[in-house]
Amino acid sequence: MGPGISLRVTLSRSVLPASSEPQLVYALLELTAQGLPMTLPKLPLNLCLVLDRSSSMRGERLQQVKEAAGRIVEMLDADDYFSLVAFNDRAEVVVPAQRVRNRNDLKRQIGMIEAAGGTEMATGMALALQEIQKPVQSRSVSRILLLTDGRTYGDEGRCVEIARRAQNRGIGLTALGIGNEWNEDLLETMAAHESSRTRFITSAAEISAIFTDEVKRMSSTFAQDIALRCEVRPGALLRSVDRVRPFIARVQAVEERELLWNAPLGDWSGAEPQALLLEVVAPALGIGDHPLLRLNLTYNLPGMNLMHQQGELVLRVAVRSADSVSYEVDPTVKHWLERLVAYRLQASAWQDVADGRIEEATRRLQMAGTRLFEAGETELARTVQEEATRLLRSGNASAEGRKRIKYGTRGLIGQE
Amino acid sequence: MQLCTHCNAQQLDGAIFCSECGASLLGSPQRRETTASLNRAAATGDATAFEMSEPLVIDAPPVSAAPTFTLVVINSGRRITLEASDNLLIGRKDNQRGIYPDVDLGLDGGYDAGVSRRHAMISLQNGSYCIEDLASANGTFVNGRRLPPQEPVPIRPGDELKLGTLLLRFEIG
Repeated sequence: MGPGISLRVTLSRSVLPASSEPQLVYALLELTAQGLPMTLPKLPLNLCLVLDRSSSMRGERLQQVKEAAGRIVEMLDADDYFSLVAFNDRAEVVVPAQRVRNRNDLKRQIGMIEAAGGTEMATGMALALQEIQKPVQSRSVSRILLLTDGRTYGDEGRCVEIARRAQNRGIGLTALGIGNEWNEDLLETMAAHESSRTRFITSAAEISAIFTDEVKRMSSTFAQDIALRCEVRPGALLRSVDRVRPFIARVQAVEERELLWNAPLGDWSGAEPQALLLEVVAPALGIGDHPLLRLNLTYNLPGMNLMHQQGELVLRVAVRSADSVSYEVDPTVKHWLERLVAYRLQASAWQDVADGRIEEATRRLQMAGTRLFEAGETELARTVQEEATRLLRSGNASAEGRKRIKYGTRGLIGQE
Repeated sequence: MQLCTHCNAQQLDGAIFCSECGASLLGSPQRRETTASLNRAAATGDATAFEMSEPLVIDAPPVSAAPTFTLVVINSGRRITLEASDNLLIGRKDNQRGIYPDVDLGLDGGYDAGVSRRHAMISLQNGSYCIEDLASANGTFVNGRRLPPQEPVPIRPGDELKLGTLLLRFEIG
């Protein structure tokens, strides 16, 4: 079999009881790279760093950031492009987009960044978008890497708009927050798109590892423009699609026409497992075997010159008389669903807090804690419980606890 | 359709977790008696290890149809499922003094957390569950509020119970 992506689906229950009512079926879709050569030709990279140099970055944080940026310059190849934008109240292009030829020169320019002033992110993002589009490359992996430790005021809408413009042109965004002051809602919104992600850096010492991780992930990108089409049988409904690996994120599935949904999935770094969880409502079905869902994956493998590839899989369910069907649930599907439920619960809890429903929020967080325990995420579950207790007592969650829970439930803290 | 036993929301057949409150909709919750704290104790051979050398008795699932409730020990994830009765003692086992509570939190770091040997009592009264602090040294808390001693207070599923500093969650089923 030639190189490509293979699809594997596990259902929450392989046999459904016959029923006159609709039933919910969970499908875990795992994607696996197949038939790839051991060493893939690396695509040229185009990376733009957007660094917050407001006064709060002074000291260890900026020092670590500069060292990490220097390390990135070391890691890039001569045919990769690099640019760097720094922002405080204003923004400036420190390193214009260029090939990584004179490493010492680049590092000297990085070394001259100094911390001062406030935080205004949008102008920095705008300059980054301008720089990253300068190189003309037919095939490449483009990424804006944003790092901030503060809140930008008044230009949040512009930040999101610029991020979307970049993403719609195939430029991914990785948004990193460090410390406890930054606006996680903004970074999450900016990164809520394919080929984008956000991470929470708990200590300056992690910066270097996370930067190099990002470059490694870009370098191992082997599939691009991945899109999933889901077609259900008449009467059925696709209720939701969520990414569960490498991290939890909602996938925007658009109902293109009746019974057909389309979900863009972006790039795929071969270094990470990919899995999605689908919730499908099956209509009432008679005893027998029935096709429920047709999954069609389209993608490009630019490194191997294979464009417009596709894989297809038809999912069938067996329906048997109710008394012969046991109610057993696949443990892997249940595990990922449990983590997804915990993520959704905490997300609604923060919405409850914003709307002043503290008791409701506490209940949701407690339940999120239960789900995380059951999923074996003991430490995170404890953080959630502590924050629930704090919330009930004081009516407020701590800024750090909130970030830890938001990013922790998605699997976005620390090493992945 | 099925009804969530936790929040009464209508849920589709086949749903594993309630889409409203997130509670598990699976009939019998899985019992997970092996806990992180027990494994740790066994691995490091620390003070609680001698208790480990005693055979671990895992309660057989209840045969009768009496209502059951579950205490989840937060730090270890241990789930203790019990049949409701008039008086269930929660505390720490003490062989020398002959104290054998229905729920022994000695295995969950109860001593360090300040759990008394006779700490609290859970009872089912007129169809609702109550907890009573037995004048414990370090107190019993429900959702962060300290209980007056020797006064039964109603508790609801999802409530957080704290004995000394040990966190438990009360669940039904």
